[in-house]
Amino acid sequence: MALARPTLAAIRYGYGLRPGQDSPSDADGLMTQLAKGIAAKDRFPREGLVGRRETATRVISLRAAEAKAAREGKPNESIRKETQREAQRIYRLDAMSRLAQAIHSPFGFYERLGSFWMDHFSTSALKSLPMRMIVPLYETEAIRPRMAGSFADLLKAAILHPAMLIYLDQDQSVGPDSRVAQENGRGLNENLGRELLELHTLGAGSGYTQEDVRAAALILTGLTVDNRALEMVYRPRRAQGGTITLLGRDYQDDEAGSQDHVRMLEDLAADPRTATHICRKIAAHFISDEPPAYMTEVMVASWKASNGNLGEVYRAMLEHPLAWENPGQKIKQPFEFVVSGFRALNLPDDNMSALLADMEGDDDDVGPVGKAMQMAGAAKSAEQRRKRAGQANALTLGALQKMGQPIWQPPSPAGVPDKSDAWLTPGQLSERIDWSRRAARLLGQKLEPADFLQVALADAATPETRKIISQAPSKLHGLTMVLASPEFNRR
Amino acid sequence: MASIKDIERIALSRRGFLAGACCVAAAPVLTPVTFAAMPGDNRFVTIILRGAMDGLDLVQPYGDPAFAALRPKLGLTPDTGLLDLNGFFGLNPAASALMPLWQAGQLSFVHAVSTPYRDQRSHFDGQDILETGGADKSQKTGWLNRALAVIPRSDARKAIDINTSMELILTGPNQADNWSSQSDFSLADDEIAFLDRLYSHDPLFAKVFDEAKTTGAAADQLYADGKRGSGIADMAKLAGGMLREQYRVASFSINGWDTHVGQAGQFKKAAGDLATAIMTLKDTLGDEVWNKTVVLAMTEFGRTARENGTNGTDHGTGGLAVLAGGAVAGGKVLGTWPGLGEGKLLDERDLMPTGDVREVAAAMLYRQFDIKPSSLSSRVFPGLGFDEGSVFLKG
Repeated sequence: MALARPTLAAIRYGYGLRPGQDSPSDADGLMTQLAKGIAAKDRFPREGLVGRRETATRVISLRAAEAKAAREGKPNESIRKETQREAQRIYRLDAMSRLAQAIHSPFGFYERLGSFWMDHFSTSALKSLPMRMIVPLYETEAIRPRMAGSFADLLKAAILHPAMLIYLDQDQSVGPDSRVAQENGRGLNENLGRELLELHTLGAGSGYTQEDVRAAALILTGLTVDNRALEMVYRPRRAQGGTITLLGRDYQDDEAGSQDHVRMLEDLAADPRTATHICRKIAAHFISDEPPAYMTEVMVASWKASNGNLGEVYRAMLEHPLAWENPGQKIKQPFEFVVSGFRALNLPDDNMSALLADMEGDDDDVGPVGKAMQMAGAAKSAEQRRKRAGQANALTLGALQKMGQPIWQPPSPAGVPDKSDAWLTPGQLSERIDWSRRAARLLGQKLEPADFLQVALADAATPETRKIISQAPSKLHGLTMVLASPEFNRR
Repeated sequence: MASIKDIERIALSRRGFLAGACCVAAAPVLTPVTFAAMPGDNRFVTIILRGAMDGLDLVQPYGDPAFAALRPKLGLTPDTGLLDLNGFFGLNPAASALMPLWQAGQLSFVHAVSTPYRDQRSHFDGQDILETGGADKSQKTGWLNRALAVIPRSDARKAIDINTSMELILTGPNQADNWSSQSDFSLADDEIAFLDRLYSHDPLFAKVFDEAKTTGAAADQLYADGKRGSGIADMAKLAGGMLREQYRVASFSINGWDTHVGQAGQFKKAAGDLATAIMTLKDTLGDEVWNKTVVLAMTEFGRTARENGTNGTDHGTGGLAVLAGGAVAGGKVLGTWPGLGEGKLLDERDLMPTGDVREVAAAMLYRQFDIKPSSLSSRVFPGLGFDEGSVFLKG
């Protein structure tokens, strides 16, 4: 089956079709989306980058002060609870903003790459309370601006961001012979060094050894997080001194103003194994679980010719004939499914913020759930608010949780599974049918199933599905089946 | 979900008094508006049976000589479990819970009725016409909504839709409220059968869906019969609770009637759901209010008179409406029976419609709310031609 190029572009390289949004038909169009997305302002963190640093450092210092007081026998439960509530609230608002951006953005390829790289350089908001506020900051300032430039720049920004240093315990790691280790007996933590080689650059099974893992971890010593500025900082007292050898190269602790870790990251980015690993991963994410070597080799060649320029690598993929053939080989991940569902339903932007109001139980701004319930007589009852918040959550963050992909909470540093079979399980399919029913009921009231099928899938809908949808026992079930169909769940 | 008691309490306070879940002490001082219980007011409930309910299965014309041959597998007789109604028609035992109503004169059926919709037999168009009450798809608002405007007493115009979202029958310019019961009941059998078909052309999805129906936490939520029954009961309880207080008109839907395959099992569940809904309404309303209530259950069209090759029936034309309530002069099978024999079927396949289901609805609105016949023929059901002489006013 061959699809019209705009259909395929929207489904394979974006978050699906949305009424009123044009979809590109070639590599140039997709690369333009990427460039425009990078130039546009992201919706999270909601206070902006500077504002978020202020919020986060305030919460962190409040908690530090409380922890100190608690150690002195004067714990303050209300500060603990207040800060916890605030961080949680900020996290939920940001997560809803991330969802909203994916739903409304006209730059689908940019959005999909944002998710791809956030997953490649996984960090989790569950690691600690401050991380609820730092991970969104990380995505917006470290990851998204660098997705079209050199991989080395992206790698450095990701690895050296406080979010990564906290997530993979670099802030706990000190050189075994460092002054700090001598003073308080702390030692090396290999977590970041290991994932750097295994996940972020060379790839598992690419021939490095445990000695290399340890060497990478030693080179990284000295790096930690300054909690007052929420920035990475180099502390000589934590660093392992001397010369460390990694993959046959020597790194001096004091070289170039203690920038040995930067040279290591650049060397790893330039390693041919990294090119192979990353190119294959990109193709496996967008095209198929097992992309053919003759395609990934073209991408690797482009990587080498451009010194690891990611834009050139995407272009090599998108200009390959296979990029536009054999659609539907991948199963959408839960986030992709939910976002594309909302897009097909054409959820208006003001409804998104109102959906948020529904979730917050805010009565000034009633969203689609509140509107759909239209309970004039009891519009302000606590029961009504509770119910509305529950339904709004069930469609958004709650649904993603149940489907196994809550926002900014990857199960491990390796991110979420990317192979299709992970996302087509009995429980998963049931959750998607359930979501489809809820969404169709709340947002599909005025839609005709056949029209909706056309909007959601265009020529990607098979004749069989078209026929079955037209015969559904009710419009509601017809709409439900559009979203639950195999075609809508594949990409 | 909130208990019915909570819901009543909320319904009682016009300004949404914060009495629902918590903190009465923290609530601002509001004056709860007490609605005088108005037992003298009549009530009207519509239940839309989505998917085309097989009237020939619910109320079987076992006395018609052609019936047994048309329905060799699905047809019953009083000897095989059918509950005799009047020596000619019998009630499917799946709805046996309704028999006490029949015996008490609070249940009637109207056979061989339909909307003006003909020939195409599409659920979507059929339901649209059933809900908008026109002769074709030109009407865009629901007839029950338009009826609100012509009820002479404005305090009887309180209507509620008991679904997650407002359904077409109550959609329109007049105020109607929407309340959903929290219980999200499981899929009906016909909906599951359609999903089976949907996945049948993708082997991977087909395999996973087969497993999904029996495993996992969501399986219970989506596919379990028990969950569905209790969900239907919750919905009817909610409607009953609202009707007992200030609401006078309510509507909800019951799915599960599109029985193309293995009808016997599927129909049993759907008919059981309908009986559950009606009996729960009765119990929730209490005798005093029930005696002022009419429930009208109707469907977009009937099904083929003949069984098909997969032990089911396909889309037809003439259907069946159900009337229940203390305000129904019950114990009758109304309508003009067209017969099933040679030459009696529409297109040699469907029960011939001999009455307009809109006229049944108009008669009930006339009786319950004193709406003028001229309003019913013009504004509520344009082109219907309803007057005081309607045969359905005797039902």
